[in-house]
Amino acid sequence: MNNHLSEDELILHSYGEVDRADRSRVDEHLASCAECLLAKEKLARVMTMIDTAPPVEAPLGFERTVWARLEPYLEVPGVSPVHRSASKVYDLVFGKTAREGGWLPQWALAGGVAALVIAAFVAGRFSGGDLAAPSSAAVAHVEPDRVLQSAVGDHLDRTQMMLVELANAEVDGADVLAGEQARAGDLVAANRVILRSAIQSGDGQVVDILEDLERVLLEVANAPANATSNDLTDLQSRITREDLLFRLRVIASEMRQRQIDDREAGDPTRRKMPTS
Amino acid sequence: MKGMDERDPSVVAKARDGDRDAFKALVELHSRYIYSLAHRMTGNAQDAEDVVQEAWLKAHKQLSRFEARADVRTWLHRITVNCSIDLIRARRHREDAHDPADLEQGPLSERGAEAQPTPERVAASVEISDRVNEALGLLTALERAAFTLRHVEGMSIEEVGAKLGMKTSATKHSIFRAVKKMRVALEPYAQS
Ligand SMILES: [Zn+2]
Repeated sequence: MNNHLSEDELILHSYGEVDRADRSRVDEHLASCAECLLAKEKLARVMTMIDTAPPVEAPLGFERTVWARLEPYLEVPGVSPVHRSASKVYDLVFGKTAREGGWLPQWALAGGVAALVIAAFVAGRFSGGDLAAPSSAAVAHVEPDRVLQSAVGDHLDRTQMMLVELANAEVDGADVLAGEQARAGDLVAANRVILRSAIQSGDGQVVDILEDLERVLLEVANAPANATSNDLTDLQSRITREDLLFRLRVIASEMRQRQIDDREAGDPTRRKMPTS
Repeated sequence: MKGMDERDPSVVAKARDGDRDAFKALVELHSRYIYSLAHRMTGNAQDAEDVVQEAWLKAHKQLSRFEARADVRTWLHRITVNCSIDLIRARRHREDAHDPADLEQGPLSERGAEAQPTPERVAASVEISDRVNEALGLLTALERAAFTLRHVEGMSIEEVGAKLGMKTSATKHSIFRAVKKMRVALEPYAQS
């Protein structure tokens, strides 16, 4: 038998993740081929080396350094000017009691994400996609915070997911572009709604990322049917060069985290935190 | 490591009630663990320190929602993994610039000072640790994230994909590339 196992197959085998359909073929081959068995053992030795490498220890006195660095951030000094203006806009839309009820995260106000939430609310819903259902007016009246955070968070997540896939697509897979076009079109529409509001609220950082995102999304949405692997490579290098994924992820993960926190928590207990 | 958690329940309860000293005690008790975990995920001291800082800030914010009967270490572990994933992406440019030649040049200078080998640790294991960390340094951010979650955290490839927002096939290829790089870098040092 000279159809040796590929390294990919050996890797999957070592993780116990060979597809069911391939399992007996891989097992049988390993049982009968000394060469592949040797390759498997070499791989296992490397894996063991990784597993048994002692963890890197923190420097001496690290705990004290951590606390010294951390403690100042546990205090929330005053309310920053950005925070104040965002709060004001927010109050106009939702009313002061809603904010003081504590359901909009402090970081959201400070970071200008309140503008995004408001944008989503004013817009009612994003064009197309499955966002329409959860953003229905009735639901929004009951729990506007969670629904809206979720809508904006979904947009950021979906955009991020697409960029990750593009960034990781094999270079010879230019048809990836064709497959993503409809999705990119939806994301452009949603992106514009949020961008408009971010411009109005003067949040430069959010405007920057949304504008960069729009350019990339448009490129995907408008890619010609005969897009080449060069087109894909260009797009990939732009995603990397502009650090789009990271910048997007920072906003999206904060949004998600806060959503989870709010869902898991009773809001009254949050108010007792030393930070607030 | 687990044994230390037995001291936690009352400390956690106090920290939840806003007791600053209790929170400080948690920081002092768990920071070294978080650092090692973050270092394993990010591969360098500066990033690991940043993750520790970020993880504690997150933990502090979430403390009021922490279930008293849950395991603190497990909770901190999860927060740290998430913070590491965020930060790994932040360091992406630098890591993409890494060249395999780095391995020939010996340990990166920034890594030399941090190891703090304990006297009882044998030289060989320090060397293995360095080699593994150098090899990890050859991976791109996504390769490293995917590899660490699969290999070290023991998530299935599908779970890793969900965590990183990638399709299963893309995740698989990231892991393949990572393991191949690790194998090429480490095979000369791996003894039977
Ligand atoms: Zn074979």
